[in-house]
Amino acid sequence: MIIELKKFGTTLVSRQSGKEAWAAFQPVLGSVSVAEDVTLDFAGVITFSPSWGDEFITPLQEKYQERLILKNTSNSSVQATLRLLEEISKIKFKLVK
Amino acid sequence: MHVSLDTLRRWDKVGRFLAIRRSGKRFYRLSDIDKYLANLTLEEADLFLLAKKWASSAGATEPDSLFYCQNSAVFQSRLIKLEKTLGTVSGLENIFPLIVAITGEIGNNSFDHNLGSWPDISGIFFGYDTNRREIVLSDRGQGILKTLKRVKKELSSDEEALKVAFTEVLSGRAPEARGNGLKFVKNIVMQNDIDLFFQTGQAELNLKKGDTPLNIQRTDSRIQGCLAWIKF
Repeated sequence: MIIELKKFGTTLVSRQSGKEAWAAFQPVLGSVSVAEDVTLDFAGVITFSPSWGDEFITPLQEKYQERLILKNTSNSSVQATLRLLEEISKIKFKLVK
Repeated sequence: MHVSLDTLRRWDKVGRFLAIRRSGKRFYRLSDIDKYLANLTLEEADLFLLAKKWASSAGATEPDSLFYCQNSAVFQSRLIKLEKTLGTVSGLENIFPLIVAITGEIGNNSFDHNLGSWPDISGIFFGYDTNRREIVLSDRGQGILKTLKRVKKELSSDEEALKVAFTEVLSGRAPEARGNGLKFVKNIVMQNDIDLFFQTGQAELNLKKGDTPLNIQRTDSRIQGCLAWIKF
């Protein structure tokens, strides 16, 4: 499954909207099969911050672990946020271009 | 007044803001300064002073609608406008998402930590000037000490609370997993050409690229909630 983050908006900064995005996406995630990878595509995201990321990516990482792949992460705010989430959650995201 | 000495000399010379000369030095009456500040239009006003005055005044009134975000939805929409504006500023192509991200973290912190507990006026002051390359946010919330004391009772001063907020992963909304926003702000400022002034209660932090350890000091003026000034 590919999740296009820009479909949630291009300015992803608040906990409230991150939490809403996570809740709203649960039915879609229900269709992910047991061995299927989940790719999170950051293309088109302009501003990304830890508050939003912590509400959406942290639970996604906990759920899918090594099956979660992050793509198109070159934006400066995406990179800075992922670094902080990795540090805080003591995890390493799997990144592809 | 937040103007340079050269500006004061120039204003004196052209008669815009006159000094009193004694023994070759320039002096100013406090009443003249107050009058000058009071007569500024909103467009020419010093955003930092406006925000500070609002956050520290005894009387609780809503700020001018130009700067007032009464709820997080208004703040989000104005933040997107800031993002669009900064995206067109030459030289900021790589770091404008970082500037917007730290602005979002600071502004959203005000809403997240004061929801249902605003002491008087709910919402925040949010203003920016891309020509002066500055963003100012302030709130009349509970302040960081009161918020963090709920989960770290041994905190006894605004300075300690400010340091914890910027260095430890500790949430004033425990048991919710929060408390990383201001650490993110610190990391971004320390790694980029962005300056930050942040005050809560009677503690102020001045942070710039490469700073370590944090420069936190006690100040005479008191802010009820938080005041942030981002320069880029």
